[in-house]
Amino acid sequence: MTSRLERITTYALLIAASAFALYPMGLILFSALQPDSVGGTGAFHFDNFETAWRVGHFGRYMANSILVAVVVVVVSATLSSLAGYAFGTMKFRGSSALFYLLLLGLMVPSEAIVIPLYYDLRGLGLTDTYAALILPQIAQSLAFGVFWMRQYFRSVPPEIVEAARMDGAGHGRVLWSILLPMGRPAIITMVLLVLMWTWNEFLLPLVMLPTNEGLRTAPLGLSFFKGQYTEGTSLLAAGAVLVALPIVVFYIFAQRHFIRGMLEGSVKG
Amino acid sequence: MTSRRTGWAGAATVAALLFASACAPGSDNKKDSDEPSSVKTDVAKMGKLTLTVWDQEVRGGQAEQIAALNKQFEDKYPNVTIKRVSRSFDDLRKTLRLAITDDKAPDVVQANNGRSDMGQFVKAGLLRSLEPYNKAYGWSDRYPESVRALASYTEDGKTFGAGNLYGLPQAGELVGLWYNKAKLSKHGIEVPTTLTDFEAALAKAKQAGETPIQFGNLDAWPGIHTYGFVQNQFVARDDIRNLGFGRKGASWTSAENEKAATTFADWVKKGYFTKDFNGLGYDPAWQDFAKGKGVFLPAGTWLLADLQKALGNDLGFALPPVGETGKQAVTGGTGLPFAITEASKHADAAGAYINFITSPEAMKLIAKAGNLPVTDVDSAGTTGAQKEVFDAWTKATEDDALVPYLDYATPNFYDLLTAQVQKLGSGSEEPKSFLDNLEKEYTSFTASNGG
Amino acid sequence: MADTVPQPPRAGRRQAGPPGEPRRIAYLYIAPALLVFGLFFLTPLLHAVWLSLYEWDGLSVGTWVGLDNYRLVLTDEALREPFVHALTLIVFFSIIPCALGLALASMITRSAVRGVNFFRTVLFLPQVVALVVVAVAWRQIFAPDGPLNDFLRTVGLGDVARGWLGDERYALICIGIVGIWVCTGLCVVLFLAGLSKVPRELYEAARLDGAGPIREFITISVPAVRGELAVALTLTLVAAMRTFDLVYVMTSGGPGTSSRVPAYEVWDRAINKGQVGVGVTVALILTAFILLCTVLINRLSESADS
Repeated sequence: MTSRLERITTYALLIAASAFALYPMGLILFSALQPDSVGGTGAFHFDNFETAWRVGHFGRYMANSILVAVVVVVVSATLSSLAGYAFGTMKFRGSSALFYLLLLGLMVPSEAIVIPLYYDLRGLGLTDTYAALILPQIAQSLAFGVFWMRQYFRSVPPEIVEAARMDGAGHGRVLWSILLPMGRPAIITMVLLVLMWTWNEFLLPLVMLPTNEGLRTAPLGLSFFKGQYTEGTSLLAAGAVLVALPIVVFYIFAQRHFIRGMLEGSVKG
Repeated sequence: MTSRRTGWAGAATVAALLFASACAPGSDNKKDSDEPSSVKTDVAKMGKLTLTVWDQEVRGGQAEQIAALNKQFEDKYPNVTIKRVSRSFDDLRKTLRLAITDDKAPDVVQANNGRSDMGQFVKAGLLRSLEPYNKAYGWSDRYPESVRALASYTEDGKTFGAGNLYGLPQAGELVGLWYNKAKLSKHGIEVPTTLTDFEAALAKAKQAGETPIQFGNLDAWPGIHTYGFVQNQFVARDDIRNLGFGRKGASWTSAENEKAATTFADWVKKGYFTKDFNGLGYDPAWQDFAKGKGVFLPAGTWLLADLQKALGNDLGFALPPVGETGKQAVTGGTGLPFAITEASKHADAAGAYINFITSPEAMKLIAKAGNLPVTDVDSAGTTGAQKEVFDAWTKATEDDALVPYLDYATPNFYDLLTAQVQKLGSGSEEPKSFLDNLEKEYTSFTASNGG
Repeated sequence: MADTVPQPPRAGRRQAGPPGEPRRIAYLYIAPALLVFGLFFLTPLLHAVWLSLYEWDGLSVGTWVGLDNYRLVLTDEALREPFVHALTLIVFFSIIPCALGLALASMITRSAVRGVNFFRTVLFLPQVVALVVVAVAWRQIFAPDGPLNDFLRTVGLGDVARGWLGDERYALICIGIVGIWVCTGLCVVLFLAGLSKVPRELYEAARLDGAGPIREFITISVPAVRGELAVALTLTLVAAMRTFDLVYVMTSGGPGTSSRVPAYEVWDRAINKGQVGVGVTVALILTAFILLCTVLINRLSESADS
């Protein structure tokens, strides 16, 4: 129905935009395959990845990152769904004030709270533990999670809930057996975003782990790696690829659901 | 509106609770002033203990020597376990400020010398004076005054470069002149020893189509080194020391300083520096030099191993040329000094540890791993650029030629100077206003500091 | 407090869904989230407010200065500049990506593009990778001998080539370009979601009325994505105002002070320079500003809804 010219323009623009999106990542991948030392020769040094993995202790750091990310995602998704359900479907005193209070979490730069947070956690004896990595990140993820799930629950036609309630289903049943299964795409989207942010978080683990090197996460490991190897950019690029790879793979794997999450009522239409 | 009120009431309650329990920040940082009556030096008799040490010796040869020394120390004293925490300079700076106030603070820390780090730690009473250990181990006999000054403060932290010793470094460093021997001989240039020679060499290199001085200032801090290199040609050593240590008695707007700033701007105009240096990173800049681009590279001795690997016998190192002052001056100092925290419960063991990793034997090991040891430098048995670096260090310390990094001066000076050198380099700040801005910060600090 | 105690649902009191819901049960659902959020976010935030009233180096005992830090931040020229830069970044992080995203999304929808999934996946990818990782690549792209200058020289624009990040006029714009790169994909995905809900008949009817692509865009597409636009604006605006990693890795705020932004200022003051009070105050003022923008956007979108 659209003209041929219009279609061609659309494709041309899309291809240009995709190239723009991919180029910097291609560049990192390309540097990662270059010889590491100044004056080295040859192409496609896949051994850079192996060297970076071994020398940078990325195995250990990845395991920490996975543990932290999984706990943060599971707990924050659960709490966000519960709270989002209340904010999205129920009317109660203080709901909008409490909602904006939670939204603060989206707006306050983490640089603002990381210092007081350090002193607070140190007072509780929690620095240098997984708890110091996990609990604040759950708190920060809740802001987005509740915002997101509230949008989803508000988009569900009230008749569905009403009908279920007429049939005698309790609040919990409605949430568990009707709304959550329906909202799978929205939930997967949230999980992916929170996972992404947690995986990429840098400042918080840096400050919260003053002495315990054993708990370092992958991006932190990358920074330490950067401080150690300045003679070439290839190993650093290889390390960067290693740190980014798991999350990119997960994204590509989950993107179908993720896109459906965006399509199906994550935002009130 | 009732809904709002409930929310705010809740928040107010939390706030009230918090304020009620609070007093001024930092007031719960305990300070126990149990100055030891006498220093114990026999570590073997101290019982089982663990020393936590924070260092930034993460790169190649540095990591090698510290790991070896730690192991030797543990082997010698089986009752001591060393818990080493290492991280890059940037990461160490970011975390040390927070951790040092903890009552479980590490025992030994590598702290940056300047006022914004070590100076503030001393002022807050978080580091121990090392004078008792200095006496017990006789460090003053081995460490020259100019080196000790770089880690000395008065007890109130106000005066830098004098007073008590608060840290002891392992390695030395100089911002000297790296050069490419192949290029010098190709263009018939001698290694310059005076400013006149150096400027002639730059002109010759430029005419031959070379980049005379490799310089990358995107990271901003290299500007401190390169500007200092130029300043050393014109300004008397004691003036630079007063400016660098943030002490009264000098001026950024002196005729000599004006000459330095004008010369720097002039070299930019003549195209002596790498084109677009403000947009080039530090690492790419020296990597380019290592690949054979550029004739000179004013930079630190810490690049020795990396440059030598790439350039081999073509690499040369010299002290900066002697300029209008007629006296050798070279920016430099030491690697980060090791200090003992006030919170340490094993201060005597920590003192013995610092003595161990800075002993003459340790210095040999440091040199063997390709680093520049701060004392007991022995260039016998070394060759090429390493020998040139070692000899330069010996000469600089013997001549009292070391001048401090300029950013040590005041807590804000790092930011100001780096930004100003970038602006001077891009031409958006004239030499006159460049110096006025530096002078303003320097005088307002020295006036309020009373030092 | 009595009326806020959550109570388990009782069979006899059950009613149909909203608006007749019993109110108290809602608190039971939000309690766990609020608890964690209160302990690990609000407490440190209030702690930050308290710190902003002190002059404190993070090491020794602080001195009470009341509102002096706020006065300083609001009047100091050097501290105002970063806020102006943040406003500039909004153009690059929010306005341009939203415009581009809207255009691309409606073109995709109109032309019923094949492989739309592929394009969506690729365009969103910049959001997935840590900024610390990609900033390294962008630094390389803008370098004096980098790909951007190589490209300019090949197309005969060698005179324009320069050390982009080292030029006071362009450093901030370079950060902004990375912002476009990061945020456009997010906007495209959000707007595609909004547009997919528009019934095809609406477009067909419009075309029967003789509407061109532009009119169709203004009368159908834009109103259809109003909700998504609010979300996209909120998220990108927050990203613009909070920019830190990019500046930290690419320019360290330079050359001079030409690319310093508030979040960088916070980090530099509070962690680097030992001016915890001032740093925290900058953060709180930034927060207030972001909060204001967010509430404004949401108000606008809600009033447009009704």
